[in-house]
Amino acid sequence: MSDQLVALSKVNKHFGPLHVLKDIDLGVARGQVVVVLGPSGSGKSTLCRVINRLEPIDSGTITLDGRAVPAEGKALARYRADIGMVFQSFNLFSHKTALGNVALGPMKVRGRAKADAERTARELLDRVGLADKADAIPAQLSGGQQQRVAIARALAMEPKLLLFDEPTSALDPEMISDVLDVMIELAQSGMTMIVVTHEMGFARQAADQVVFMDEGEIVERGTPAEFFDHPTSTRAKDFLSKILAY
Amino acid sequence: MDFVWDQRELILEGFWRTIQLAALAGGLSLVFGTLLAVMRVCPIPPLRWAGATYVTVVRNTPLTLVFIFSTFGLPRLEIRFSFFVFAVVALTVYTSSFVCEAVRSGINSVASGEIEAARAIGLPFRQTLSLVVLPQAFRAIVPLLSSVFIALTKNTSIAVAFSVTEATSILRRLQNQDASATFPLLIVTAAGYLVITLALSFAFSRLERRVAAAR
Amino acid sequence: MKFPIRRLVLLFAVLALVLAAGCGDDDGNGESRAPEVTVEEEVEFPAGSTMAELADAGTIRIGTKFDQPGLGNISLETDEPEGFDVEIGKLIASKLGIDEDDIEFIETISANREAFITGDRVDIVIATYTINDERKQQVDFAGPYYVAGQDLLVREDDDSINGPDDLAGKRVCAVTGSTPIARIRTSYPEAEPVEFETYTECVDQLEAGQIDAVSTDDIILAGYAADPKYEGKFRVVGEVFSTEPYGIGLPKGDTEFRNFLNDVLEDAYEDGTWEEIFDATLGASGETAPEPPPVDRYP
Ligand SMILES: Nc1ncnc2c1ncn2[C@@H]1O[C@H](COP(=O)(O)OP(=O)(O)O)[C@@H](O)[C@H]1O
Ligand SMILES: [Mg+2]
Repeated sequence: MSDQLVALSKVNKHFGPLHVLKDIDLGVARGQVVVVLGPSGSGKSTLCRVINRLEPIDSGTITLDGRAVPAEGKALARYRADIGMVFQSFNLFSHKTALGNVALGPMKVRGRAKADAERTARELLDRVGLADKADAIPAQLSGGQQQRVAIARALAMEPKLLLFDEPTSALDPEMISDVLDVMIELAQSGMTMIVVTHEMGFARQAADQVVFMDEGEIVERGTPAEFFDHPTSTRAKDFLSKILAY
Repeated sequence: MDFVWDQRELILEGFWRTIQLAALAGGLSLVFGTLLAVMRVCPIPPLRWAGATYVTVVRNTPLTLVFIFSTFGLPRLEIRFSFFVFAVVALTVYTSSFVCEAVRSGINSVASGEIEAARAIGLPFRQTLSLVVLPQAFRAIVPLLSSVFIALTKNTSIAVAFSVTEATSILRRLQNQDASATFPLLIVTAAGYLVITLALSFAFSRLERRVAAAR
Repeated sequence: MKFPIRRLVLLFAVLALVLAAGCGDDDGNGESRAPEVTVEEEVEFPAGSTMAELADAGTIRIGTKFDQPGLGNISLETDEPEGFDVEIGKLIASKLGIDEDDIEFIETISANREAFITGDRVDIVIATYTINDERKQQVDFAGPYYVAGQDLLVREDDDSINGPDDLAGKRVCAVTGSTPIARIRTSYPEAEPVEFETYTECVDQLEAGQIDAVSTDDIILAGYAADPKYEGKFRVVGEVFSTEPYGIGLPKGDTEFRNFLNDVLEDAYEDGTWEEIFDATLGASGETAPEPPPVDRYP
């Protein structure tokens, strides 16, 4: 537990009467990749959202680099800036070009000069294979391209942690690998990542830890090999049998 | 018609005043209307409540009443400006409520995911609004704003009854000098308003096409 | 948007309260009533004349002002127009055999008097209506039955205005389309003209301190200065700078009718009715009746 970047301890979250996160304990070491999976509605997205505090929690603690998450205001905005987030539905700023999307945060949040921010943005677009799309607006890009721009946008903030919430679920199959390639490259470069995904190939190749959630609880955790090959709980077995059925 | 031609300078002066009224009130309404809209979506309940109350009250008050309030009410509160300023105040107070509702509908049309993405990269509320939400909201409501400003242009003529020498008051004055010129005067004045509102719609439809490309 | 009915109801309730309060605001203005005029029983006019038409119809539409104390005014307590112009109207009606209850008084404001006559919205206009050549192009005038002069009404404590030459940079209010506003514009260009539809609005603005003077005929201003509602607030400057002969407006070209109206006026001058009317209306504030002006039977 010494080099933990993120630590969740006894985190609880309700939406009205609905208990969405139940006593969640989760530690992610620096440079680790954690894959979170579980059935729909099990609380995976909520887990991501409470980590960068898009949602407040009811009880428990979340720390990043040993410091508690600020409740609100400037400190909270700064905290969020240190955590990159990639959404299932990309959520690019539709009125801005790819370059504009990537450069916005560094300029407005980090206070970098425009030329400087745009140079870095171009490098990042190059890194995700979209150097030639810098001036395209989101509507002119395919889903896979949009998601890679979104990853570049998250990276531009030089985050300590990247959260991915089903980054490939909204993509056509032929585009999924483009995005996964980028993610694997990131994992190999030492980025700390929490990835909600059902892409077993990615999990096996990149994950240090797999976490299985159901009904707001972490039911099982382990290495990819342990989890996929020898799940212990019946819920995990059920789940795996369903996603492997076809 | 000769009479109308002889009085062209006065008529143009009237329209210049009309344009000034519309432009000033339009600009200010855009600012205040947007502020109101921001109040209506902001996370602080008293501000939301105040914004909603303002819009409900003002939108359901006849403009003439707003004019009476500014022109006859404000002096009673020892607030004294020129009648032109009173007219700008009345038109701004009134038009802001319509701009507010337009902007609010624009804000609601912005995808919530984008707002979330903006928060996730660390933009605070104000910048999320000014960099992500409002630019898109305004693009979405160009046609709406166009009709709000056309209505405003026509509404400036209410100022005729409140001692502002805009186009309609010049019409009234000249009509009084020569009642036989009523029809030519009416036609010229109506045409003047038409020119202004058509120019406005033209400008807005060009703007609409330009921002459509970016959406 | 969903309509917040409860808030609307509240608004109405507040409005109703305000209105009710306004109605209860009795200013106790119970001054002397006008003289009774006897309605002619037997009237005979040339067939086809306007007089015959009106007499047959048994009613007449008279345009007058509703907001000019002493001349043509509707006060809250009576709900009937009263004043010098109104009484002249009743006099004329009586000579046509029309009962005063059968007169239809219609409000005319300065800006719409010609239009109301040419548009047949009224039969005659008796509304502080200055006879001038410009107006004579559109309507005819009987009279004058009174000669006023343009003057200034200022706040009691304002000693900076003592005549029309002190108006530079001052806001001077008169009603839209009136002779006084035109005169202020042309003869005193240094003044800032302020226009409203009614003198009440001008006086309201004067009271509120938003403008510096109200300008129109002295006799109208005297009516406001004497109005108990404004007691001690205003003074009439007393430097008349125009001659305003008041006439009775009628459709252009109806000379027969015009002669009849002039005859009625001249008879009233002679038998003392005119003076009685003056004393009961304008004279109520202490003014003594002047010599009536000779009528002008222009060709
Ligand atoms: N904003 C919200 N308000 C109310 N309920 C919510 C909200 N967001 C998610 N939920 C509920 O919380 C539960 C967990 O949702 P989520 O975290 O999105 O699950 P997952 O991502 O695993 O599918 C679901 O039952 C969902 O309906
Ligand atoms: Mg989800």
